[in-house]
Amino acid sequence: MDLTLIQRTFPFFLEAAWITVQISVLALLLGLLVAFVLVAARLSTVFLFRCLARIYVSVFRGTPCLVQLFIIYFGGPQIGLELEPFAAGVIGLGLNIAAYMAESIRGAISNVDPGQEEAARSIGFGRRQTLWLVTLPQAAKLMIRPLGVNAVALIKGSALVSTISVVELSYTAQRFISSTYKPFEIFMVSALLYIVMVYSVRFVVDYLDNRFAAR
Amino acid sequence: MLTRKLKGLIVASTVAAAALLSTSAVLADDLQKIQEAKEIRIAMSGQYSPFSFANEQNQIVGFDASISEALAERMGVKVTIVTTPFDGIIAGLLAKKYDAIIASMTITPERQKAVDFVGPYYHAGRTIVVKEDSPIKSLDDLKDVTVGVTLGDAHDKWARARGNLKVRTYKGLPEMLVDLEAGRINALVMDSVPVLVAVKETGQKVRIITPPESDGGIEGMGIALRKNNPELKATMQQALQDMLADGTYEKISMKWIGNDIR
Repeated sequence: MDLTLIQRTFPFFLEAAWITVQISVLALLLGLLVAFVLVAARLSTVFLFRCLARIYVSVFRGTPCLVQLFIIYFGGPQIGLELEPFAAGVIGLGLNIAAYMAESIRGAISNVDPGQEEAARSIGFGRRQTLWLVTLPQAAKLMIRPLGVNAVALIKGSALVSTISVVELSYTAQRFISSTYKPFEIFMVSALLYIVMVYSVRFVVDYLDNRFAAR
Repeated sequence: MLTRKLKGLIVASTVAAAALLSTSAVLADDLQKIQEAKEIRIAMSGQYSPFSFANEQNQIVGFDASISEALAERMGVKVTIVTTPFDGIIAGLLAKKYDAIIASMTITPERQKAVDFVGPYYHAGRTIVVKEDSPIKSLDDLKDVTVGVTLGDAHDKWARARGNLKVRTYKGLPEMLVDLEAGRINALVMDSVPVLVAVKETGQKVRIITPPESDGGIEGMGIALRKNNPELKATMQQALQDMLADGTYEKISMKWIGNDIR
């Protein structure tokens, strides 16, 4: 174990971890936005919208995220979509995680006791009112944990953007290994930083879940 | 009905975008764009010591990086080094993520179908590395064993073409050296310079077998550019020749490699 190597290179690992955090947070926000649009489409009365949302989820969950990133980054320019690595990474990861998040949100909504909706309708609530005032507030509690699981998967999956030349935590580790020939130390440092990130998310999720489940 | 209309619209706009893109590519040489931007973007893996690697200040340095800087200086532009994994490096060039590749890339007929090369800017020999106590003593012994190569490089093709080897591909040399030591591969095939530098660094006990020249002993490395850029190609070739003539090249080569590898 070369501890001084870790000490000397650690600041660069922190910088790289910060890139991983940025890319994950931005992809998470994009993912949530797209996921809510997808859920709205799934709940829509318009057949076409339901159909498109279903296709989106099947395609993005049915193909590897790596392939999706390659299509956006390497294939994009062929259809006039020229993106920097970072932007391509955020969009690729965000569009991918959106499909999973949409399913988490939809699952939470369908797990709300159907008696609640029936009760609301029977006292004269409209469809929309029932959704916003009765179903969604209850579903919100139920979606905290599944969305947390999605966020953790996103952070770990963000290592994939190293393949499209985003110099984040994984690629930084690989670059240092090729000049120091010390894979053990260097991968341990990056693994440690991933754990810190993942557990920060879990901490927040646990807090939110406890807080809202208690009510 | 709506879907069909939508589909038509998407197809039409895609075709239009593609047409627009291809016409602009024919009209302008990349040289013009580089000079306008006063910047040339050059790709390398950053995982190939001593040609391109991250030093302890996390800057990409090495022979390829120095050559890139010297070429850019002669062209009067700033250089931006992009690090990208070697197996996707040509795809990235074709997708216009950068203007050139200076990444110790062997000039091969297959690659020449996809890109144009300036150079060769250096030559390297193929090296076979085995453990010090390995029963493999010469190229003739190298059969029915497992060898490690870098994914997508020229030695990968060479090892597969031999037909009597089990080939395992790796992202880079460090992983291969670890697996050689662990016995997961019996030999690794690689350019000579990085191997010599690496084993000096790690102190690993290995034996180096140099195949005869008839077996691809010496290969030329090129600077890859997108096709149809005659002006950029000529400018870079000229800059390279000037560097070779005035001693700049030799200085870079001595600094990183310890001898002149032209």
